[in-house]
Amino acid sequence: MSCVSFTFAQQQISGTVQDDKGTLLQNVKIANLQTQTAAVTDSLGNFIINAEKGNVLEFSLDNSTQKVTVDNRTRYFVTFTNKLTDIEEVVMVGYGSQKRSDVTGAIGSVKSEDFNKGLVANVGQLLQGKVAGVNVANVSGEPGANQNIVIRGVGSLRSGTTPLYVIDGFVIDNSNTGVANNPMNFINPDDIASMDVLKDASASAIYGARGANGVIVITTKKGKKGRTEMNLSSSLTVSSLANKMNVFSADEFRKQVTGMGAKLDDMGGNTDWQDELTRMAISKNVNFSAAGATENSNYYAALGYEDQEGILYNSSLRRYSGRVNVSQKAFDGRVNIDFNINGSKTENERPSVTSMVSTMLTLNPTYPAYTNGSPTTVFNNGAFNPLIRQNIYTDFTNNNRILANISPSVEIIKGLTYKLNLGVDYSNADRIVQNIPHAVPLENGSLNLNYFSNNNTLVENYLTYKFKIQNHDFNVMAGHSYQRLFLVARGWSYLNFPNNGIEPQYQIPAGDKTTMTSSSIANRNELQSWFGRVNYDFQDKYLLTATLRADGSSKFGENNRYGVFPSVAAGWNISKESFLSDVDVINDLKLRGSWGKTGNQEIPNKITKKSYKSASDGSGMATYPMDDSGNYPVGIYLVRANNPDLQWEVTTQTNVGVDFGILNNRLTGTVDFFKKVSNNILLEISPEDPIEPAETMWKNIPNMSIHNTGWEFALDYNSDRNKSFTYNIGANVAFIKNKVKDSPYKVISTGEAQGPGTTNAVINGYLNGQPIGTFYVREFVGLSENGTNIFKDVDGDGIITDNDRVAAGSALPDFTYNLYVKMAYRNFDLGLNFNGVSGNMIYNNTASTLFTRGRLGLSQNTTDAATQFPNESVNNTNVISTRYLEKGDFFRLNNATLGYNLNPRILGIGNHVRNIKLSVTAQNLFVITKYSGFDPEINTGISQGGIQSFGIDYSTYPKARSFVFGVNVGF
Amino acid sequence: MKNKFLIGIVSLSALFAVGCTDLSEEIIDESLDVQTDNIISAAMAPAYGPLPDAFTHTKNYGLQLVSSDQAILPPRGSGNDWYDGGKYIELHQHNTTTTNVVVRDTWNAFTLMLSRTITAIERLQPLAATDSEAAKALAEMRGLRAYYNMLMLDYWGIAFKKDAASEQSVILRKADAVNYIESEFLAVVNQLDNTKGPGRISQASVNGFLAQLYLNAGVYRNPYGTPTFPQNDMDKVIEYTNKVIDSGLFVLSPEYFSIFDDNNHSNKELIFAIDQRSNLTTSHNRLAYWSLSGSQYPLAAFPKANGTDGPALTKYFYNTWVQAYGSTDPAQADARFYKENLVIPQNLQNLTGINPANDANHYFLVNGATYQINRGIQRGIQWGLRNSANGQPFQTINGQYKIYPMIEQRDGFTSYVNHGIDIDLENPNNKDYADGYRVAKYQFSSTSDSGRNKGQADIVLLRLADIYLMRAEAQLRKGNNGAALSDVNLVRASRTARPQVTPPALTSINLDLLYRERGFEFYWEYSRRTDMIRFGHFEDTYASKTNADVRKRLFPIPQSAIDGASSAPGYLVQNEGY
Repeated sequence: MSCVSFTFAQQQISGTVQDDKGTLLQNVKIANLQTQTAAVTDSLGNFIINAEKGNVLEFSLDNSTQKVTVDNRTRYFVTFTNKLTDIEEVVMVGYGSQKRSDVTGAIGSVKSEDFNKGLVANVGQLLQGKVAGVNVANVSGEPGANQNIVIRGVGSLRSGTTPLYVIDGFVIDNSNTGVANNPMNFINPDDIASMDVLKDASASAIYGARGANGVIVITTKKGKKGRTEMNLSSSLTVSSLANKMNVFSADEFRKQVTGMGAKLDDMGGNTDWQDELTRMAISKNVNFSAAGATENSNYYAALGYEDQEGILYNSSLRRYSGRVNVSQKAFDGRVNIDFNINGSKTENERPSVTSMVSTMLTLNPTYPAYTNGSPTTVFNNGAFNPLIRQNIYTDFTNNNRILANISPSVEIIKGLTYKLNLGVDYSNADRIVQNIPHAVPLENGSLNLNYFSNNNTLVENYLTYKFKIQNHDFNVMAGHSYQRLFLVARGWSYLNFPNNGIEPQYQIPAGDKTTMTSSSIANRNELQSWFGRVNYDFQDKYLLTATLRADGSSKFGENNRYGVFPSVAAGWNISKESFLSDVDVINDLKLRGSWGKTGNQEIPNKITKKSYKSASDGSGMATYPMDDSGNYPVGIYLVRANNPDLQWEVTTQTNVGVDFGILNNRLTGTVDFFKKVSNNILLEISPEDPIEPAETMWKNIPNMSIHNTGWEFALDYNSDRNKSFTYNIGANVAFIKNKVKDSPYKVISTGEAQGPGTTNAVINGYLNGQPIGTFYVREFVGLSENGTNIFKDVDGDGIITDNDRVAAGSALPDFTYNLYVKMAYRNFDLGLNFNGVSGNMIYNNTASTLFTRGRLGLSQNTTDAATQFPNESVNNTNVISTRYLEKGDFFRLNNATLGYNLNPRILGIGNHVRNIKLSVTAQNLFVITKYSGFDPEINTGISQGGIQSFGIDYSTYPKARSFVFGVNVGF
Repeated sequence: MKNKFLIGIVSLSALFAVGCTDLSEEIIDESLDVQTDNIISAAMAPAYGPLPDAFTHTKNYGLQLVSSDQAILPPRGSGNDWYDGGKYIELHQHNTTTTNVVVRDTWNAFTLMLSRTITAIERLQPLAATDSEAAKALAEMRGLRAYYNMLMLDYWGIAFKKDAASEQSVILRKADAVNYIESEFLAVVNQLDNTKGPGRISQASVNGFLAQLYLNAGVYRNPYGTPTFPQNDMDKVIEYTNKVIDSGLFVLSPEYFSIFDDNNHSNKELIFAIDQRSNLTTSHNRLAYWSLSGSQYPLAAFPKANGTDGPALTKYFYNTWVQAYGSTDPAQADARFYKENLVIPQNLQNLTGINPANDANHYFLVNGATYQINRGIQRGIQWGLRNSANGQPFQTINGQYKIYPMIEQRDGFTSYVNHGIDIDLENPNNKDYADGYRVAKYQFSSTSDSGRNKGQADIVLLRLADIYLMRAEAQLRKGNNGAALSDVNLVRASRTARPQVTPPALTSINLDLLYRERGFEFYWEYSRRTDMIRFGHFEDTYASKTNADVRKRLFPIPQSAIDGASSAPGYLVQNEGY
């Protein structure tokens, strides 16, 4: 910068704003009172503005201002006074908010500036790696893929282990939306201001029967006082297959097949099917938002367009979203109305993942993909050319969803506020799966139509009373909630369409009507609850929180319709004690402890009730030819026994934690220990008397329990803000031990293996003393002389049977960790996020089914897993065993973002544009792992009997590596 | 103004706080009221309804067949097809575990059917007092319940006594179970008639079941001991088989394979069979499909309908045919062994130098509408329709279908389907897709577009030949060899449709010969395991099977049922040896 010496030069000056505790302050407005230019601080408190000597810069945050006169320095360090920064971090706790220092529960909070950047489709991706004890694992690399979000360990055997989502006070229900991928894709991540994860029972008990898996409270953006802000952000993403699987090239393949003495099927080509069937995917994202506030109102309005392309063909996620949030105060601030509406249209196109991925891995590489420029039609083995197959296959879902709530509140007398919360969540989804008819190779065409409609209505009334008696601060809240869910699903399918160039979806009547099948489901559920909370605070030192929620659900039996979920928590702000006031090194120290109960009511509808069905076509096996007439009577049959005693699972959680800040709060941290025990385990099991009309029934299993114990650590360090180079470094770590106890069952099996020869073969088995996610398989010892498997004879009876299975590790990691580094120097900033897991295993079902020596002998491509044992017989059996269990540990550079703040003045648009930020983000830059599949972060296992399966990889949609080029302009 | 606003808000909230709901679950897509024009049929049909599924290959068919010495199903080929968690290996080797899925699924099917009979009985009981048709239906349901219980006793050594859904079943074993089932059959047999065809429980079928019950009663009373055959029981066998024979309603089928044709519902040999109809989704073609080669497409109309390379005949069982007919090929000696429907022209029979790469002209033509594959036991290179892969069009010329030696599709289209005799679980070279002789006993259903479903043939569970052979056995066990020999020869002599292969009369009879004869007559049906136990052969050593533990005669009660009953200790006790 040798040109600083321009006469009267307006020069660029920079600096950092923080409070007196060293907390960096974002969104501080800086105005140059002479030139009328303005700037705003970023997430690291940094700002850049043009000014010349003698100009006065006014720093303002909410109602406080500070003025600084520019001198010869180019870098300024501004500290806001204590009084101002008492406007502290606020945490959403459900039916209210609390100051961070008053919080007694274990709550992890993430603000928008800390969200994962880049190509993200849903809240899970924003949150991945951000909160200790919250394990977000994508199940595949598909755009908008589902995630397993597990908060503090798996506490249920069934599929209902995802957390509860609450968006601006509205409790979301995502069951049966008909959306094939993640149902949370409907929310534009750009609209989210913060997420608070309620981890312990004290925090989540306010959501009672739905809180056992933790609660994620999402708050969307609001306008802030000051000038109107408009933001335009846009990004372009280039994605490609991150890691190719090491299958044989055509030349190697020829060598390997002939080398093993098999007959080579060679069509003379040289095709890399992974290249042919994946693409360089281009994704686009545009968001525009406007926000502002006056004394009595604020608003946020945004439009978003997201178009994600997957790295497989016919794979995309498109979302059009709009949001308006408005708050209006009236009557001297005693009445306040919040209004939020979110509308979105999400279009999701999916390839036939399993078939495409297994094909790209195993199709003979000597088969030419193209002949004379068009896809080869006939392969020696009669297989369909996947390039043709993918062109005639469509799986398309359109989801329209509106989420709206309005919540007026009135301050009746000072401190006493009544609030009404009315909300609706309407979702419609249409899904079409079709095969277009094709002549050579022959495909007769098929069409599957499914329609889903979900209505979720919420009415809540609650009173909050804040009052103070001398040094005793009270905040008491009590209320009632009623929620109704209504679902209708309908489906039809047809086969055999004429091959006339028209897609089956556009000529439904042409389908063969004799092949039609149809289905319909309709459910109505109600939830009614009473809840209350008392927060007590003595001199900001001693904190007490007690909550109680009584939850009733129509899903439960009439004898157990209501459950009561209490919790208590206490906090001690030790740093506010006089004996610590002289200790300079400690700025913050708080001890927290909590105990409470929460429930899990995610079970199918109607299972407490007896059910009859009737049919005359063979369905339900209810009819039979009673004579030679060709007519079959309508048979009536009982499909479900009633169980009026059925109730929710209960999780009891104890938590002890410490929050601290030292060295001027430059180093802050949190340590938590928790113990979580789930009881009343709900399972679908065989009845006691085998002669019952239903094969299985739902029951709460007495005594059986699932234990999760763990430690969570989070540390964050900020460098000296007075330097021109600043950095922030941190980590969070969680250790969790999971164990099933007192199960009356020998083993609870799940995780059905995939591929030929694996019908009914199960991989996961949960038994006493072992964690959920355990692989219960035979122990592979080696190969016999004739090249067949030898397994350990565990029970020593001389034969190898199902009784020789062993618990061979679990799919749940015992250790998850995340690291981040943020750096800023002048106009540049760089952020790196790493994450990793350790101690888990993966069952490589892809290798066990596809990469066998026998398949290689039939000229199917494999990796060298097939040739690992040269004496292996081509007909050796791929028994589910430890042979295919691999370590799942990994360490990933998940996200790296380089940003540059461009000075609008340089472009001569400083009067109109507040700031311009350019950024490049790389996602999934590298992953270090010993796992031999595409990626160790997977879960394609098929659950059995509603029991969750974990850690099974079968032809999973591979992960991409993406580079995101973004620009963000603020007006 | 302020107050008005407050009032407004409060009343608004009252409007929406729909007050307290009682939360009773409203069921809106299921009804307890069902319209039906025939209450009696509607009550009975669900008790029969699960039968086709219960007797499919992954359930009772697989359970009975693969646990016997007739069939073996190794994991085939490189994809390890039919490995399926080892369930068929366990069954064949008598190492069955409590988690075996074939055992579990069969158990679940039978317990469901039992429960359906109880629902039907509860429904019919109030009508029976005033309505004679309902009374007859009630008798039919009790007969069906007793039959299901007899099968459960045969497989698991257990019968369930239960008369109402609200009661808990009484679990009966051994003599108690035999007595209960006997008393139920006896209570209803005279209320039934023979007017409804083989698909329904009739007087004749109950008489036949009683004969089966008495014949096996010694085994059922003492399942692990050396089978005994008290005179008294044998007399009853003769008494009840006589009733069936003397009714004159049934005729031995001149063409043996007609018993298993699509239209077998009208075959007079059938006494009790599962009535299958092409347009009922429960009806299946699995009995025909299971053993056939995956490259075998038996129907010109449906290019996706193929076999699946399931179980093959064991060499051990095949050799009993060889022992019986010596140097004569059994196909030339016994109508039950084989029926040739597809004659290969002389000039094409020699395949020397012919292989899939050069055989484009090595075919003959057939009419697609009349094309039928060979029936019975299939050996050596097979001929059939040819396509380039599953679902692709067959090769035709002028509307005629080309018949080629079949190319092994699963083995990469490089060799012909050649069924050899060697098949076992140990030698990796003896478990490829084509290995082992196959059985096409049932006709491949002409309406089965997928090869799996839309079966038409009734699944035969009791037929006249069995009645004669049961009577022969009872006579033999009483020492009346002459009477026994005449019954056996009567059955052999009845297969006259192809006279050159009508089985010749036997000159003498003993238990070994009768056992062998039952093998020839009923191979690949449902009774082999029961026969092996009764004749003391279940503990024999044969292909890949050495376990001689008598406790394996009964299957384990599935772990899921034991787990389900774990809340009532001592109620449902696992069978010995598991």
